[in-house]
Amino acid sequence: MKFQKKRAATKQQIPTASLPDIVFMLLLFFMVTTTLREVDVLVSFKLPEAKAIEKIENKRLVSYIWVGKDGRIQVNDSIVLLDQIQKIMYAKRVQLPNVIVSLRIDKNSDMGVVTDIQQELRKASCLRINYSSMLKV
Amino acid sequence: MVKIKKKEKPEPVIPTSSMADISFLLLLFFLVSTVIDVDTGIGLTLPEFVPPSEQKTVPISKDRLAALLINENGDVLLNNEIIAIPQISKTLKPRIISKINEPANKKLVVSVKTDRKTNYNLYIQALDQVKEAYFQVREEYARDRYGKRLIDISDKSDEMKEIKEKIPITISIAEPETIKK
Repeated sequence: MKFQKKRAATKQQIPTASLPDIVFMLLLFFMVTTTLREVDVLVSFKLPEAKAIEKIENKRLVSYIWVGKDGRIQVNDSIVLLDQIQKIMYAKRVQLPNVIVSLRIDKNSDMGVVTDIQQELRKASCLRINYSSMLKV
Repeated sequence: MVKIKKKEKPEPVIPTSSMADISFLLLLFFLVSTVIDVDTGIGLTLPEFVPPSEQKTVPISKDRLAALLINENGDVLLNNEIIAIPQISKTLKPRIISKINEPANKKLVVSVKTDRKTNYNLYIQALDQVKEAYFQVREEYARDRYGKRLIDISDKSDEMKEIKEKIPITISIAEPETIKK
């Protein structure tokens, strides 16, 4: 006597047809939220740490100034001299009136360079600044 | 007549099984290239630039001034007394609290002054302490007045407005001296 194997009548496959849709949805989310890094940082720096820090809510308003270990200053894509900052930042401010300047300064820098940059920023009337720092744990 | 039997064609389908793989590849790319680091830091508003010839000195009564001085050796003076950096917030807090109900022109002003050779990290640590003092006072005020935590109060609500009005953060960055170089 031959035994008939009992099998469920339903298909034994996981329907994968909707898998691409799901993945595309995820993909879309990441595409929308991604802000591709548009500049190469040319200076090496280590940020200071602080406890009472705030988040910058609006990333589109932020413009960066880097100061490296060696004291070189970078704005946008290139190393600039101190007396060029005013012109560059003023142009930025005209484009974006409420620009926030994020100062990414190496923690072993002297205050001299910081003060100089601040003076330039004041002359360019970019008054909202942010000393970029990491959260101290 | 011979009936030509049409060849039965299989239904044309585009193979979609690799679609998922392709989209996964794309997804991976965006996952890897995404930077989700939020910019964090200590916010500050600089004073407007006034040419030195037009600068006026406005006397501020000693009572509402907290002068913070950091020299190049890392010594910190708060109102002419030597203080360790971690003590700053504790010392400032009672002074901020005592001025909560004063009018706006009597609130505490913290003035931070550094030398050109002062370490940037020290300056940030000191500034952090000052901010911390202010945030703690705001936190306590929000708790006592509204029974809420500060993060639960939305930025645009009247409650936040009142907190900001009662406890404004006034940190003044002293005009750099040109003599010291």
